[in-house]
Amino acid sequence: MAIEIPTLPEQMPNDASRYVGKAVNRVEDPALVSGTVEFIDNFSLPGMLHCAILRSPHPHARILSVKVDAALAAEGVAAVLTGEDVGRWCNPCFTAPEGWGNYCLAVGKVRFVGEPVVAVAASSRYLAEDALELVDIEYELLPPVADAGQAMASGAPLVFEERGTNVMLDRTYTWGELERVFAEADRVVSRRFRWNRVGANPTETFGCVCRWDLADNSLVCHGAYQTPRFMAIGRAASLNLPVNRVRIVTHPQGGGFGGKGGPRGTDIAALLSRKSGGRPVKYIEDRMEYLLAGGGQSWDRHYDAALAVKADGTVTGFRVRLVDDQGAGAEGYGTISAAKPLAAFTGNYRIEAAGYELTLVATNRAPTYPYRGYGPPPHNLVLESLMDCTAREMGIDPAELRRRNYIRPEQFPYTVPSGNEYDSGDYHAVLDRVLQMADYDALRAFQAEARAAGRLVGIGVVNTVEPGVFDWNAYATVGVPGVGVPEGVKVAVDLFGGVTVAVGFSLQGQGQFTVASQVAADYFGIDIAQVRVATTPSDVAVPHFGQGGSRLGVAVTGAILGACEKLRAMFCTVAAHVMQAPEGGVELRNGCLRRIDAPEHSMSLAEIAGLMLSRSDLLPPGIEPCPEATYVWTAPNRNAPDDQGRCRSYLTAANATHVAVIEIDRDTGRSAILDYFIVDDCGTRLNPANVEGQLQGGVAQGVGAALYEEYVYDADCQPLVSTFVDYLMPTIHEVPMTKKDHIVTPSPVSPLGAKGCGEGAIHTTPATILCAINDALAPLGKELLETPASPHRVWKLLHEDGAAA
Amino acid sequence: MPNKQRVEVRVNGTRYVREVEPRLTLADFLRHELNLGGTHVGCEHGICGACTVLVDERSARACLTLAVQADGCGITTVEGLRDPSSGALHPIQQAFVDGHGLQCGFCTPGFMMTTLELLRCTPDPSEEQIKEALGGNLCRCTGYQSILDSVKLAAQRMKPSTPA
Ligand code: FES
Ligand code: FES
Repeated sequence: MAIEIPTLPEQMPNDASRYVGKAVNRVEDPALVSGTVEFIDNFSLPGMLHCAILRSPHPHARILSVKVDAALAAEGVAAVLTGEDVGRWCNPCFTAPEGWGNYCLAVGKVRFVGEPVVAVAASSRYLAEDALELVDIEYELLPPVADAGQAMASGAPLVFEERGTNVMLDRTYTWGELERVFAEADRVVSRRFRWNRVGANPTETFGCVCRWDLADNSLVCHGAYQTPRFMAIGRAASLNLPVNRVRIVTHPQGGGFGGKGGPRGTDIAALLSRKSGGRPVKYIEDRMEYLLAGGGQSWDRHYDAALAVKADGTVTGFRVRLVDDQGAGAEGYGTISAAKPLAAFTGNYRIEAAGYELTLVATNRAPTYPYRGYGPPPHNLVLESLMDCTAREMGIDPAELRRRNYIRPEQFPYTVPSGNEYDSGDYHAVLDRVLQMADYDALRAFQAEARAAGRLVGIGVVNTVEPGVFDWNAYATVGVPGVGVPEGVKVAVDLFGGVTVAVGFSLQGQGQFTVASQVAADYFGIDIAQVRVATTPSDVAVPHFGQGGSRLGVAVTGAILGACEKLRAMFCTVAAHVMQAPEGGVELRNGCLRRIDAPEHSMSLAEIAGLMLSRSDLLPPGIEPCPEATYVWTAPNRNAPDDQGRCRSYLTAANATHVAVIEIDRDTGRSAILDYFIVDDCGTRLNPANVEGQLQGGVAQGVGAALYEEYVYDADCQPLVSTFVDYLMPTIHEVPMTKKDHIVTPSPVSPLGAKGCGEGAIHTTPATILCAINDALAPLGKELLETPASPHRVWKLLHEDGAAA
Repeated sequence: MPNKQRVEVRVNGTRYVREVEPRLTLADFLRHELNLGGTHVGCEHGICGACTVLVDERSARACLTLAVQADGCGITTVEGLRDPSSGALHPIQQAFVDGHGLQCGFCTPGFMMTTLELLRCTPDPSEEQIKEALGGNLCRCTGYQSILDSVKLAAQRMKPSTPA
């Protein structure tokens, strides 16, 4: 049966949407504001033990001996896990590129500060931590590989000796006639950039409760899991269990932003459960553990990049060399983060040729993980900063230079040189709207006045394309096929006409349960309160992936609509049979099954579902007594990547333009954001309040990355960040209260025309802020090409010549 | 076994008496001894504000307070916000729902308890006063704009009605 997924809200079987497109209150919120949601640390099992982990204080050292007898004898201790157990029972985690993984707990040597070395399960966390103090470990220190430069130097110490090198991946992509466009360019604008490591830092750290059933040889893991099925497969592989004996029960999460899911913590808690005879073991990562070694540190990058530009300002080529410090192993799928820019490599522009040289290296810093945006935030910072440098060199207004290079509205669908296809957009309209909202001319006039008065005021105008809804092919080119499995749901109608949507993921904050409720309620013409969204455990759920890559809102909408379409066909058949209408003579409209020829004859959802469940004698032949349907949605029209990684990988291409006005304080180096404007286009806004929340939240994280946040390591590879006193998260005082507007270009190819919109703001904000800072610095002839542009860094730049600039 | 000490508190109107280790934090006491899990823990070192509760009407970081320090005190947590008889949301809770003042909701109990103190002391706060009050609470999801709006909404709804 071919299922047609509605690509516009108007195509749903109702006269008007009551919920889709409206800023309805979220179904998640009453429980969340009441404090009754079962976040993982609010969950316990009888007889549960608590895990504490002893972590390496050294970046690189051989483990000579581990003595745990005293810990084992300590009060309340049930089990102690060491590298010996892990080496015997486990496999190193799967990585991409392959073969650069650690065990969940160090075996033989430690590769970063914070790496787990010994774990204890005891009757309370307090007692488990007490016991750790009794563990005795002897190390032989090894010289650390402190940064990417050292990693690539000849004779460098090796993080993974068996590999014979610290280079994990070295690959060059060439798209179009790159050499020619650079040879024919009237101007080549090139710069070096440094993006320092930042991280996700959801307010809730990772946690889990694992129980290894020794009789059944099966494992149940409750926890804060972002991608449950993926997690189940990973645990099966690392713990040597059949996949169908691993059940991941994902709990609501206090934020995710990538990297939520703690494979290491899960494996450690699981093995402690195994070692303590099958008692459940809880592990709650604390903030210091998270900051030292948790999933979510990202983008430790060195860039060399250039634009090829014609005399009229047309940009014809974009060349990027990236050296990405992955830290001690590729367990966090660093290749994905480096490869994601392929989906929108050349941004909003008609750049005809591009090249990407990619080197991933291992160092003794903590392994990197996904973080919201997953690669494009630094990439866009490079591209957009080069656009500004070009504009400055050529004396063209930066907004005007961008406009000249935009893909034009009539060119969609547009295939970028790196292979992805943009579905739709109108970049000129977005730019016009934001410049108008910001009153750009007045801003420039204000800036001129301020400059004349000696103030350092800058304006950033930055646009980006946000690839949304990735598919299996997106990362196949860098050795990670199958990430972006389809998203499935089960939709069931009950005896009373209530609708339950069973999904494979849990709450994380983006409001997907609300979107799911809106879509199901509108489709069946029922009140949103009659819809319930429920999470199913990974082993019995319909194939699913969960949050990631700005895809879930779109994907789950597609899945629900698919299941609803199946139910509609089934219900119409049953209703036609019961009402003795001709085949195809019944339609679903506003929640009723009604005869097309006599609409006054109709049946309700409850009547049909009740009849199906109770009167098999009344059912037409071939119809099962089951008013339920599953549907697994995947993007249409995906293709395999070619030898240069080109493919239709991301279904939707949202876009946005941000305008920031910044003033730098000469005495402190502090950048104050005076004003901030956003116009975006993510197609149909399923719940505008959710979209606004995603935008503003992304801006906040972008502000953090651009101005404050940094995982600092010293020359010996010791992390200098272990608390929120060192890692500066933006507060309400640092984040601008942005002024927003939008245009709507519905996606012609996605469910209800919605485009992925979870990451666009963090893609754009860091670049906008840095461009504004460099605009402010321009009269001084100075440039800052490193993030974060912290007060200290800016101050040093201002005062490097000895005198106050 | 470290010596235990007796702690008697009244939390959201209910009296509890427990024997606890002196090192037990108030956050762990509320969450794990009294099973009041609505007070969340985001950093355990006093920066994020997720654990904010009211101790004798004044906001306190439950992660930096020891349970024994709260002996004899009255404590209000997020569980005490709803109307106990009708179950209706407190105006602050309702304002956060209506104002989309949360995403993951993990920081929200802390923000609401901080707001409760603010609005008790300053029923008609200016935007600057709100920011000043909330400056010690971190939210990684919302970017604070909807939180600011929610607090304004709560203030407006809770204002003692003035005759026209
Ligand atoms: S948990 Fe208490 S301030 Fe963060
Ligand atoms: S809503 Fe998630 S941290 Fe504030």
